[in-house]
Amino acid sequence: MGETVKIGRCLIQTDLHYLVDDHCWVRFNDDGTLTVGITDVAQHMAGPVLHVYVRKKGLRQKGQNLATIESGKWVGPLKAPVSGEIVEANEALEKDPGLVNRSPYGEGWVVRLKALKLEQEREALLTGAAAVEAYRRKIEQQSLKACAEVAACESG
Amino acid sequence: MKQDPEGKKVLVIQTHGVETPRRTYSPLFYAMAAAAMDMEVVVWFTMDGTSQLKKGEAEKIKLDPRSDVTLQTMLERAKEEGIKLRVCQQSMTLFDMTEENLFDGVEIMGAATIIELALGSDLVMNF
Repeated sequence: MGETVKIGRCLIQTDLHYLVDDHCWVRFNDDGTLTVGITDVAQHMAGPVLHVYVRKKGLRQKGQNLATIESGKWVGPLKAPVSGEIVEANEALEKDPGLVNRSPYGEGWVVRLKALKLEQEREALLTGAAAVEAYRRKIEQQSLKACAEVAACESG
Repeated sequence: MKQDPEGKKVLVIQTHGVETPRRTYSPLFYAMAAAAMDMEVVVWFTMDGTSQLKKGEAEKIKLDPRSDVTLQTMLERAKEEGIKLRVCQQSMTLFDMTEENLFDGVEIMGAATIIELALGSDLVMNF
């Protein structure tokens, strides 16, 4: 079981794996599938999420769209962190997209994937202290106000 | 039944520019939504829409005074998402624009090309 690290007001769970540039997290499940969602940093940057359009099935190559997430000030994709088949979509997000804000690593998960090329692609995923450090750097480098607020919270 | 949006071609035509800031944001937002859904998106700036692509203009347009996001931020984000930005050659003359003072990454095209683009698109959105 990992720990939860705070960067500013944002939480990073060290037992998860991350593609920091895509603000995406991955959980390796016991049944061999991967659960994927957006990070707490991403939901802070986006603000209250209004719609989540989730793909319900199909094969996705790494980088292809798994879902489209829309807030009042931002719209963007959740990109596939690895290639795989969508085996389950979180249909609760259709009725309650705010789950992404309230519980980004829990009830706000987006899809479950059966990975196709995990051996080749998992190297890009960061976990533990490396993920925390990469996210800390990412936040520092961001020039958007939302990110600055996140970084500012660290000292506050 | 919902259609699979992936691979569909979307053409967004923007005819509003710096003189009407409130009309500049939404077309780019729609374009980014389409790109996020793995669609191929072109934004075509013509008539007054051309003015926002003159270097230095978009950075002056801030839509929300509480935010640091300017129109330039939106245009840069659009490019990052793979959205193609195209401008009408004939409209550029209205604003004393040349290749030299054009926003980076924007391709200049003529009227015939836009007609061709529109014919080949699954969706054309006019603003």
